[in-house]
Amino acid sequence: MMNFELHKRKILTFILLLAFVWSLLPVDWDKGLLHAGGLAMAGQIFEAALHPDFSPDMIMLALESAWITLAYATAGMSLALVLAFFLGLLASGILAPGNKSRRWLKRIFRGVLSFMRAIHELVWALIFVASFGLTPYAAIFALAIPYGGMLGRIFAEMLEDVPAEPIQALKMTGASAWQCIFYGYLPIVRAGIISYSMYRFECSVRSSAIMSFIGLGGLGYQIQLSLDDLAYSQMWTFLFFLILLVVIIDGWSTLLRRRLGS
Amino acid sequence: MAQETMIELNRISKHYGRKIALSSLSFVINKGEHVAVIGPSGAGKTSMLNILASMLPADDGEILVDGKPLDSYCDRKSRAQKIGMVRQQFDLVPQLAVIHNVLAGRLSDWSLWKSVLSLLIPQDKGRAIEALDRVGLSDKVFERTSSLSGGEQQRVALARLLVQDPEIILADEPVASLDPARAEDILKMLTRIAAEENQTLVASLHSVDYALKYFSRVIALKDGKLFFDRPVSEVSDTLLAELYSLEGNSQK
Repeated sequence: MMNFELHKRKILTFILLLAFVWSLLPVDWDKGLLHAGGLAMAGQIFEAALHPDFSPDMIMLALESAWITLAYATAGMSLALVLAFFLGLLASGILAPGNKSRRWLKRIFRGVLSFMRAIHELVWALIFVASFGLTPYAAIFALAIPYGGMLGRIFAEMLEDVPAEPIQALKMTGASAWQCIFYGYLPIVRAGIISYSMYRFECSVRSSAIMSFIGLGGLGYQIQLSLDDLAYSQMWTFLFFLILLVVIIDGWSTLLRRRLGS
Repeated sequence: MAQETMIELNRISKHYGRKIALSSLSFVINKGEHVAVIGPSGAGKTSMLNILASMLPADDGEILVDGKPLDSYCDRKSRAQKIGMVRQQFDLVPQLAVIHNVLAGRLSDWSLWKSVLSLLIPQDKGRAIEALDRVGLSDKVFERTSSLSGGEQQRVALARLLVQDPEIILADEPVASLDPARAEDILKMLTRIAAEENQTLVASLHSVDYALKYFSRVIALKDGKLFFDRPVSEVSDTLLAELYSLEGNSQK
Protein backbone atom coordinates (compact mmCIF):
# COMPACT_ATOMS: atom_id res chain seq x y z
CA MET A 1 0.00 0.00 0.00
CA MET A 2 2.74 2.40 1.07
CA ASN A 3 4.70 1.51 -2.03
CA PHE A 4 1.82 2.31 -4.29
CA GLU A 5 1.39 5.74 -2.60
CA LEU A 6 5.05 6.52 -3.19
CA HIS A 7 4.70 5.40 -6.77
CA LYS A 8 1.70 7.67 -7.32
CA ARG A 9 3.62 10.66 -6.05
CA LYS A 10 6.42 10.03 -8.56
CA ILE A 11 3.91 9.80 -11.42
CA LEU A 12 2.41 13.12 -10.30
CA THR A 13 5.84 14.75 -10.26
CA PHE A 14 6.48 13.48 -13.75
CA ILE A 15 3.15 14.83 -15.05
CA LEU A 16 3.78 18.24 -13.48
CA LEU A 17 7.24 18.41 -15.05
CA LEU A 18 5.76 17.54 -18.46
CA ALA A 19 3.14 20.26 -18.02
CA PHE A 20 5.86 22.78 -17.26
CA VAL A 21 7.90 21.88 -20.35
CA TRP A 22 4.76 22.00 -22.48
CA SER A 23 3.94 25.47 -21.15
CA LEU A 24 7.30 26.73 -22.48
CA LEU A 25 6.50 25.73 -26.06
CA PRO A 26 4.14 28.57 -27.01
CA VAL A 27 6.53 31.24 -25.68
CA ASP A 28 7.86 33.41 -28.50
CA TRP A 29 11.51 33.77 -27.54
CA ASP A 30 12.44 36.16 -30.32
CA LYS A 31 10.66 39.39 -29.59
CA GLY A 32 8.84 41.23 -26.89
CA LEU A 33 9.69 38.94 -23.97
CA LEU A 34 11.60 41.75 -22.30
CA HIS A 35 11.20 45.42 -23.04
CA ALA A 36 14.01 46.15 -25.47
CA GLY A 37 15.19 49.29 -23.70
CA GLY A 38 14.51 47.72 -20.29
CA LEU A 39 18.10 47.12 -19.26
CA ALA A 40 19.15 50.60 -20.28
CA MET A 41 16.21 52.03 -18.30
CA ALA A 42 17.06 50.00 -15.21
CA GLY A 43 20.67 51.16 -15.58
CA GLN A 44 19.53 54.75 -15.67
CA ILE A 45 17.37 54.36 -12.58
CA PHE A 46 20.11 52.76 -10.51
CA GLU A 47 22.71 55.15 -11.78
CA ALA A 48 20.51 57.98 -10.46
CA ALA A 49 20.93 56.51 -6.96
CA LEU A 50 24.52 57.81 -7.03
CA HIS A 51 23.40 61.42 -7.36
CA PRO A 52 20.05 61.92 -5.64
CA ASP A 53 18.58 65.40 -5.78
CA PHE A 54 19.51 67.02 -2.44
CA SER A 55 18.53 70.59 -3.34
CA PRO A 56 16.96 72.51 -0.41
CA ASP A 57 13.52 72.46 -2.01
CA MET A 58 13.63 68.71 -2.46
CA ILE A 59 14.88 68.16 1.08
CA MET A 60 12.04 70.25 2.45
CA LEU A 61 9.50 68.35 0.37
CA ALA A 62 11.00 65.02 1.36
CA LEU A 63 11.00 66.01 5.02
CA GLU A 64 7.38 67.03 4.84
CA SER A 65 6.36 63.82 3.04
CA ALA A 66 8.37 61.71 5.49
CA TRP A 67 6.58 63.49 8.32
CA ILE A 68 3.17 62.70 6.80
CA THR A 69 4.12 59.06 6.26
CA LEU A 70 5.41 58.78 9.82
CA ALA A 71 2.31 60.50 11.20
CA TYR A 72 -0.05 58.10 9.40
CA ALA A 73 2.00 55.12 10.54
CA THR A 74 2.12 56.31 14.16
CA ALA A 75 -1.58 57.15 14.34
CA GLY A 76 -2.49 53.89 12.62
CA MET A 77 -0.26 51.85 14.95
CA SER A 78 -1.62 53.56 18.06
CA LEU A 79 -5.15 52.67 17.08
CA ALA A 80 -4.00 49.17 16.10
CA LEU A 81 -2.40 48.69 19.54
CA VAL A 82 -5.64 49.61 21.33
CA LEU A 83 -7.64 47.26 19.09
CA ALA A 84 -5.06 44.50 19.49
CA PHE A 85 -4.97 44.80 23.28
CA PHE A 86 -8.68 44.27 23.78
CA LEU A 87 -9.29 41.84 20.93
CA GLY A 88 -6.13 39.87 21.75
CA LEU A 89 -7.13 39.65 25.40
CA LEU A 90 -10.54 38.31 24.40
CA ALA A 91 -9.12 35.97 21.75
CA SER A 92 -6.64 34.45 24.22
CA GLY A 93 -9.56 33.16 26.29
CA ILE A 94 -7.88 33.95 29.61
CA LEU A 95 -10.88 35.96 30.77
CA ALA A 96 -13.32 33.10 30.26
CA PRO A 97 -14.57 31.47 33.47
CA GLY A 98 -15.11 27.95 32.06
CA ASN A 99 -13.73 25.67 29.38
CA LYS A 100 -16.76 25.88 27.15
CA SER A 101 -17.04 29.66 27.22
CA ARG A 102 -13.29 29.85 26.62
CA ARG A 103 -13.60 27.81 23.44
CA TRP A 104 -16.38 30.03 22.13
CA LEU A 105 -14.65 33.25 23.06
CA LYS A 106 -11.48 32.10 21.31
CA ARG A 107 -13.32 30.99 18.21
CA ILE A 108 -15.28 34.22 17.84
CA PHE A 109 -12.48 36.69 18.46
CA ARG A 110 -9.92 34.73 16.48
CA GLY A 111 -12.39 34.93 13.62
CA VAL A 112 -12.67 38.69 14.05
CA LEU A 113 -8.88 39.06 14.07
CA SER A 114 -8.46 36.89 10.96
CA PHE A 115 -11.07 38.92 9.11
CA MET A 116 -9.22 42.13 9.99
CA ARG A 117 -5.89 40.94 8.64
CA ALA A 118 -7.20 38.84 5.76
CA ILE A 119 -7.82 42.06 3.85
CA HIS A 120 -4.64 43.88 2.88
CA GLU A 121 -4.13 47.46 4.09
CA LEU A 122 -4.09 48.67 0.49
CA VAL A 123 -7.55 47.20 -0.06
CA TRP A 124 -8.81 48.71 3.19
CA ALA A 125 -7.36 52.02 1.99
CA LEU A 126 -9.22 51.78 -1.32
CA ILE A 127 -12.44 50.98 0.54
CA PHE A 128 -12.02 53.92 2.93
CA VAL A 129 -10.98 56.34 0.19
CA ALA A 130 -14.08 55.29 -1.73
CA SER A 131 -16.26 55.96 1.31
CA PHE A 132 -14.59 58.91 3.12
CA GLY A 133 -12.58 60.42 0.28
CA LEU A 134 -8.88 61.28 0.40
CA THR A 135 -8.65 62.11 4.11
CA PRO A 136 -5.92 61.12 6.54
CA TYR A 137 -8.54 59.05 8.40
CA ALA A 138 -8.74 56.70 5.43
CA ALA A 139 -5.01 56.00 5.75
CA ILE A 140 -5.12 55.65 9.52
CA PHE A 141 -8.07 53.26 9.60
CA ALA A 142 -6.68 51.31 6.67
CA LEU A 143 -3.49 50.73 8.68
CA ALA A 144 -5.13 50.21 12.06
CA ILE A 145 -7.45 47.40 11.03
CA PRO A 146 -5.06 44.83 9.48
CA TYR A 147 -2.27 45.75 11.91
CA GLY A 148 -4.68 45.41 14.81
CA GLY A 149 -5.50 41.97 13.46
CA MET A 150 -1.84 40.89 13.26
CA LEU A 151 -0.83 42.34 16.62
CA GLY A 152 -3.97 40.98 18.28
CA ARG A 153 -3.28 37.49 17.08
CA ILE A 154 0.33 37.52 18.27
CA PHE A 155 -0.75 39.11 21.54
CA ALA A 156 -3.35 36.36 22.07
CA GLU A 157 -0.76 33.68 21.39
CA MET A 158 1.77 35.20 23.78
CA LEU A 159 -0.89 35.35 26.50
CA GLU A 160 -1.77 31.71 25.93
CA ASP A 161 1.89 30.71 26.21
CA VAL A 162 2.29 32.31 29.64
CA PRO A 163 3.41 29.54 32.05
CA ALA A 164 0.63 28.25 34.28
CA GLU A 165 2.53 28.22 37.60
CA PRO A 166 2.77 31.95 38.37
CA ILE A 167 -0.86 32.48 37.38
CA GLN A 168 -2.02 29.61 39.58
CA ALA A 169 0.02 31.02 42.43
CA LEU A 170 -1.62 34.42 41.95
CA LYS A 171 -5.05 32.79 42.02
CA MET A 172 -4.07 31.10 45.30
CA THR A 173 -3.35 34.50 46.81
CA GLY A 174 -6.93 35.42 45.95
CA ALA A 175 -6.34 37.47 42.82
CA SER A 176 -9.28 38.07 40.46
CA ALA A 177 -9.05 37.49 36.71
CA TRP A 178 -8.19 41.12 36.02
CA GLN A 179 -5.68 41.23 38.87
CA CYS A 180 -4.03 38.15 37.33
CA ILE A 181 -3.80 40.07 34.05
CA PHE A 182 -2.06 43.05 35.64
CA TYR A 183 0.19 41.11 38.02
CA GLY A 184 0.89 38.04 35.88
CA TYR A 185 0.03 38.03 32.21
CA LEU A 186 0.97 41.60 31.28
CA PRO A 187 4.39 41.77 33.00
CA ILE A 188 5.29 38.37 31.53
CA VAL A 189 4.39 39.26 27.92
CA ARG A 190 5.45 42.91 28.08
CA ALA A 191 8.92 42.61 26.54
CA GLY A 192 7.71 40.33 23.76
CA ILE A 193 4.80 42.60 22.93
CA ILE A 194 6.96 45.70 22.83
CA SER A 195 9.59 44.18 20.57
CA TYR A 196 6.98 42.73 18.20
CA SER A 197 5.09 46.03 18.12
CA MET A 198 8.28 47.89 17.25
CA TYR A 199 8.89 45.50 14.38
CA ARG A 200 5.32 46.04 13.20
CA PHE A 201 5.75 49.79 13.54
CA GLU A 202 8.64 49.57 11.12
CA CYS A 203 6.42 47.60 8.72
CA SER A 204 3.65 50.14 9.11
CA VAL A 205 5.97 52.96 7.97
CA ARG A 206 6.60 51.06 4.78
CA SER A 207 2.90 50.29 4.39
CA SER A 208 2.03 53.91 5.01
CA ALA A 209 4.44 54.96 2.27
CA ILE A 210 2.96 52.43 -0.16
CA MET A 211 -0.59 53.46 0.68
CA SER A 212 0.10 57.00 -0.37
CA PHE A 213 0.49 55.67 -3.93
CA ILE A 214 -3.28 55.92 -4.15
CA GLY A 215 -3.06 59.65 -3.56
CA LEU A 216 -3.04 60.01 0.22
CA GLY A 217 0.11 62.12 0.41
CA GLY A 218 3.43 61.11 1.90
CA LEU A 219 6.60 59.54 0.54
CA GLY A 220 4.89 57.03 -1.72
CA TYR A 221 2.92 59.71 -3.44
CA GLN A 222 6.09 61.72 -4.13
CA ILE A 223 7.92 58.62 -5.37
CA GLN A 224 5.10 57.98 -7.80
CA LEU A 225 5.11 61.61 -9.04
CA SER A 226 8.89 61.52 -9.62
CA LEU A 227 8.61 58.21 -11.49
CA ASP A 228 5.92 59.64 -13.69
CA ASP A 229 8.19 62.61 -14.45
CA LEU A 230 11.12 60.26 -15.12
CA ALA A 231 12.94 62.31 -12.44
CA TYR A 232 14.90 59.39 -11.00
CA SER A 233 17.32 61.43 -8.91
CA GLN A 234 14.32 63.00 -7.13
CA MET A 235 12.80 59.57 -6.62
CA TRP A 236 15.98 58.45 -4.90
CA THR A 237 15.80 61.40 -2.50
CA PHE A 238 12.44 60.11 -1.27
CA LEU A 239 13.61 56.51 -1.21
CA PHE A 240 16.59 57.47 0.94
CA PHE A 241 14.29 59.24 3.34
CA LEU A 242 12.11 56.14 3.56
CA ILE A 243 15.17 53.98 4.26
CA LEU A 244 16.31 56.49 6.87
CA LEU A 245 12.95 56.34 8.63
CA VAL A 246 13.04 52.54 8.81
CA VAL A 247 16.65 52.53 10.03
CA ILE A 248 15.87 55.06 12.76
CA ILE A 249 12.90 53.03 14.00
CA ASP A 250 14.97 49.87 13.94
CA GLY A 251 17.65 51.57 16.03
CA TRP A 252 15.04 52.80 18.49
CA SER A 253 13.55 49.32 18.87
CA THR A 254 16.99 47.82 19.48
CA LEU A 255 17.58 50.40 22.19
CA LEU A 256 14.22 49.67 23.78
CA ARG A 257 14.76 45.94 23.72
CA ARG A 258 18.16 46.30 25.35
CA ARG A 259 16.66 48.41 28.11
CA LEU A 260 13.93 45.86 28.70
CA GLY A 261 16.66 43.27 29.04
CA SER A 262 14.99 40.59 26.96
CA MET B 1 -3.37 24.17 73.57
CA ALA B 2 -6.76 22.68 72.81
CA GLN B 3 -6.71 20.26 69.90
CA GLU B 4 -8.82 22.02 67.33
CA THR B 5 -9.40 20.23 64.05
CA MET B 6 -8.26 22.30 61.07
CA ILE B 7 -8.32 19.91 58.13
CA GLU B 8 -10.36 16.76 57.82
CA LEU B 9 -10.11 14.49 54.79
CA ASN B 10 -12.84 11.90 54.40
CA ARG B 11 -12.28 9.09 51.89
CA ILE B 12 -10.89 11.33 49.17
CA SER B 13 -10.38 9.64 45.80
CA LYS B 14 -8.94 10.90 42.55
CA HIS B 15 -8.40 9.13 39.24
CA TYR B 16 -6.71 10.26 36.07
CA GLY B 17 -8.36 8.06 33.49
CA ARG B 18 -7.62 4.55 34.77
CA LYS B 19 -4.67 5.61 36.88
CA ILE B 20 -5.52 5.95 40.54
CA ALA B 21 -3.87 8.98 42.15
CA LEU B 22 -5.62 8.82 45.51
CA SER B 23 -7.85 6.06 46.80
CA SER B 24 -10.07 6.66 49.78
CA LEU B 25 -7.63 8.80 51.71
CA SER B 26 -8.67 9.99 55.18
CA PHE B 27 -6.85 11.85 57.95
CA VAL B 28 -7.27 14.71 60.37
CA ILE B 29 -4.86 17.58 60.95
CA ASN B 30 -5.15 19.80 63.99
CA LYS B 31 -4.68 23.53 64.15
CA GLY B 32 -1.04 24.53 64.42
CA GLU B 33 0.34 21.14 63.48
CA HIS B 34 3.34 20.88 61.17
CA VAL B 35 2.86 17.85 58.97
CA ALA B 36 5.26 16.49 56.36
CA VAL B 37 3.82 14.38 53.57
CA ILE B 38 6.33 11.90 52.16
CA GLY B 39 6.26 8.97 49.79
CA PRO B 40 7.74 7.76 46.53
CA SER B 41 7.22 9.70 43.30
CA GLY B 42 3.70 9.32 41.98
CA ALA B 43 2.30 8.42 45.39
CA GLY B 44 -0.28 11.22 45.15
CA LYS B 45 1.36 13.93 47.30
CA THR B 46 0.89 16.72 44.78
CA SER B 47 -2.64 15.59 43.88
CA MET B 48 -3.58 15.66 47.54
CA LEU B 49 -2.19 19.17 48.08
CA ASN B 50 -3.83 20.46 44.90
CA ILE B 51 -7.16 19.05 46.04
CA LEU B 52 -6.70 20.71 49.43
CA ALA B 53 -5.91 23.97 47.63
CA SER B 54 -9.12 23.45 45.61
CA MET B 55 -7.09 23.74 42.42
CA LEU B 56 -8.15 20.20 41.57
CA PRO B 57 -11.61 18.70 42.19
CA ALA B 58 -11.74 15.38 44.04
CA ASP B 59 -13.73 12.58 42.41
CA ASP B 60 -15.11 11.36 45.66
CA GLY B 61 -15.13 12.08 49.39
CA GLU B 62 -15.33 15.28 51.40
CA ILE B 63 -12.93 17.79 52.87
CA LEU B 64 -13.67 19.92 55.91
CA VAL B 65 -11.55 22.98 56.56
CA ASP B 66 -12.07 24.58 59.95
CA GLY B 67 -15.33 22.63 60.26
CA LYS B 68 -16.80 23.76 56.96
CA PRO B 69 -16.75 22.01 53.57
CA LEU B 70 -13.93 23.18 51.30
CA ASP B 71 -16.49 24.30 48.68
CA SER B 72 -17.87 26.89 51.09
CA TYR B 73 -14.66 28.91 50.64
CA CYS B 74 -15.58 29.59 47.07
CA ASP B 75 -15.09 33.34 47.01
CA ARG B 76 -11.46 34.23 46.49
CA LYS B 77 -11.14 36.40 49.58
CA SER B 78 -12.26 33.92 52.20
CA ARG B 79 -10.21 31.17 50.58
CA ALA B 80 -7.07 33.28 50.47
CA GLN B 81 -7.49 34.06 54.19
CA LYS B 82 -7.81 30.36 54.94
CA ILE B 83 -5.33 28.67 52.61
CA GLY B 84 -2.03 29.80 51.10
CA MET B 85 0.44 27.85 49.05
CA VAL B 86 4.12 27.71 48.12
CA ARG B 87 5.54 25.40 45.54
CA GLN B 88 8.83 24.97 43.73
CA GLN B 89 10.24 28.13 42.15
CA PHE B 90 8.44 29.34 38.99
CA ASP B 91 5.66 30.57 41.24
CA LEU B 92 6.70 34.20 41.05
CA VAL B 93 6.41 36.58 38.15
CA PRO B 94 10.10 37.03 37.26
CA GLN B 95 9.56 40.32 35.39
CA LEU B 96 8.07 42.14 38.37
CA ALA B 97 10.03 43.87 41.11
CA VAL B 98 10.34 41.85 44.31
CA ILE B 99 7.96 44.14 46.19
CA HIS B 100 5.12 43.56 43.71
CA ASN B 101 5.48 39.82 43.98
CA VAL B 102 5.27 40.18 47.75
CA LEU B 103 2.30 42.54 47.58
CA ALA B 104 0.47 40.02 45.38
CA GLY B 105 -0.36 38.50 48.77
CA ARG B 106 -2.65 41.47 49.36
CA LEU B 107 -4.61 41.16 46.10
CA SER B 108 -7.57 39.42 47.69
CA ASP B 109 -8.10 42.52 49.85
CA TRP B 110 -7.50 45.07 47.13
CA SER B 111 -9.78 46.48 44.49
CA LEU B 112 -8.57 46.28 40.89
CA TRP B 113 -7.96 50.02 40.94
CA LYS B 114 -5.81 49.84 44.04
CA SER B 115 -3.81 46.88 42.73
CA VAL B 116 -3.05 48.64 39.44
CA LEU B 117 -2.11 51.82 41.29
CA SER B 118 0.21 49.78 43.48
CA LEU B 119 2.26 48.77 40.44
CA LEU B 120 3.12 52.47 40.08
CA ILE B 121 3.16 53.55 43.72
CA PRO B 122 3.46 50.51 46.01
CA GLN B 123 0.59 50.40 48.51
CA ASP B 124 0.94 48.92 52.01
CA LYS B 125 4.67 49.25 51.44
CA GLY B 126 5.49 48.95 55.12
CA ARG B 127 3.91 45.54 55.33
CA ALA B 128 5.86 44.25 52.34
CA ILE B 129 9.14 45.58 53.67
CA GLU B 130 8.51 44.09 57.09
CA ALA B 131 7.83 40.71 55.48
CA LEU B 132 10.97 40.95 53.35
CA ASP B 133 12.90 41.90 56.46
CA ARG B 134 11.72 38.75 58.21
CA VAL B 135 13.00 36.57 55.35
CA GLY B 136 16.26 38.53 55.22
CA LEU B 137 15.76 40.27 51.89
CA SER B 138 15.23 43.86 52.97
CA ASP B 139 18.01 44.99 50.61
CA LYS B 140 16.31 43.60 47.49
CA VAL B 141 12.93 45.32 47.70
CA PHE B 142 13.00 46.99 44.30
CA GLU B 143 15.11 44.50 42.42
CA ARG B 144 13.77 42.57 39.47
CA THR B 145 12.71 39.16 40.75
CA SER B 146 14.45 37.30 37.91
CA SER B 147 17.80 38.65 39.07
CA LEU B 148 17.51 36.80 42.39
CA SER B 149 18.93 33.33 43.02
CA GLY B 150 16.67 30.30 43.43
CA GLY B 151 16.89 30.38 47.22
CA GLU B 152 16.18 34.09 47.34
CA GLN B 153 13.16 33.68 45.05
CA GLN B 154 11.78 31.06 47.39
CA ARG B 155 12.20 33.51 50.25
CA VAL B 156 10.22 36.06 48.25
CA ALA B 157 7.47 33.45 47.98
CA LEU B 158 7.60 33.10 51.78
CA ALA B 159 7.35 36.87 52.17
CA ARG B 160 4.28 36.83 49.95
CA LEU B 161 2.81 34.16 52.17
CA LEU B 162 3.55 36.34 55.21
CA VAL B 163 1.66 39.22 53.64
CA GLN B 164 -1.23 36.98 52.66
CA ASP B 165 -1.27 35.52 56.18
CA PRO B 166 -3.48 32.45 55.65
CA GLU B 167 -4.39 30.06 58.49
CA ILE B 168 -3.16 27.04 56.55
CA ILE B 169 0.06 26.84 54.52
CA LEU B 170 0.30 24.16 51.88
CA ALA B 171 3.85 23.64 50.60
CA ASP B 172 4.34 21.41 47.58
CA GLU B 173 8.00 20.36 47.34
CA PRO B 174 9.06 23.82 48.51
CA VAL B 175 12.77 22.99 48.36
CA ALA B 176 12.89 20.53 45.47
CA SER B 177 15.14 22.62 43.23
CA LEU B 178 17.50 23.98 45.89
CA ASP B 179 20.87 22.76 47.12
CA PRO B 180 20.97 21.24 50.63
CA ALA B 181 22.16 24.41 52.40
CA ARG B 182 19.49 26.62 50.76
CA ALA B 183 16.87 23.92 51.27
CA GLU B 184 17.51 23.74 55.03
CA ASP B 185 17.50 27.51 55.19
CA ILE B 186 14.08 27.74 53.53
CA LEU B 187 12.58 24.92 55.60
CA LYS B 188 13.88 26.47 58.82
CA MET B 189 12.32 29.77 57.82
CA LEU B 190 9.04 28.21 56.74
CA THR B 191 8.55 26.23 59.92
CA ARG B 192 9.61 29.16 62.09
CA ILE B 193 7.14 31.49 60.38
CA ALA B 194 4.35 28.94 60.66
CA ALA B 195 5.10 28.53 64.37
CA GLU B 196 5.25 32.28 65.02
CA GLU B 197 2.01 32.96 63.17
CA ASN B 198 0.34 29.89 64.68
CA GLN B 199 -0.38 28.51 61.22
CA THR B 200 -1.11 24.94 60.22
CA LEU B 201 1.56 23.66 57.85
CA VAL B 202 1.27 20.76 55.42
CA ALA B 203 4.35 20.22 53.26
CA SER B 204 5.18 17.49 50.77
CA LEU B 205 8.87 16.59 50.70
CA HIS B 206 11.17 14.34 48.75
CA SER B 207 13.63 14.08 51.54
CA VAL B 208 12.83 12.03 54.62
CA ASP B 209 15.67 13.69 56.54
CA TYR B 210 14.06 17.10 56.22
CA ALA B 211 10.68 15.68 57.20
CA LEU B 212 12.12 14.18 60.39
CA LYS B 213 14.19 17.24 61.21
CA TYR B 214 11.70 20.06 60.74
CA PHE B 215 8.26 18.55 61.24
CA SER B 216 6.37 17.01 64.14
CA ARG B 217 4.25 14.51 62.27
CA VAL B 218 4.72 12.48 59.11
CA ILE B 219 2.04 11.25 56.74
CA ALA B 220 3.36 8.70 54.27
CA LEU B 221 1.52 7.99 51.03
CA LYS B 222 2.12 5.03 48.77
CA ASP B 223 0.15 4.31 45.60
CA GLY B 224 -2.48 6.84 46.62
CA LYS B 225 -3.12 5.20 49.98
CA LEU B 226 -2.15 6.13 53.50
CA PHE B 227 0.92 4.05 54.33
CA PHE B 228 1.49 5.42 57.80
CA ASP B 229 0.62 8.51 59.81
CA ARG B 230 2.52 9.01 63.03
CA PRO B 231 4.60 11.44 65.08
CA VAL B 232 8.21 11.83 63.98
CA SER B 233 9.47 9.97 67.07
CA GLU B 234 7.65 6.80 66.02
CA VAL B 235 8.93 6.66 62.45
CA SER B 236 11.34 3.74 62.11
CA ASP B 237 13.89 2.94 59.46
CA THR B 238 12.16 -0.33 58.60
CA LEU B 239 8.93 1.53 57.89
CA LEU B 240 10.76 3.99 55.66
CA ALA B 241 12.56 1.22 53.82
CA GLU B 242 9.22 -0.44 53.18
CA LEU B 243 7.68 2.87 52.04
CA TYR B 244 10.31 3.46 49.41
CA SER B 245 10.80 -0.17 48.34
CA LEU B 246 10.24 -0.71 44.64
CA GLU B 247 8.10 -3.84 45.00
CA GLY B 248 4.63 -2.49 45.67
CA ASN B 249 4.88 -0.24 42.67
CA SER B 250 4.51 -2.95 40.06
CA GLN B 251 1.10 -4.13 41.23
CA LYS B 252 -0.85 -1.08 39.99
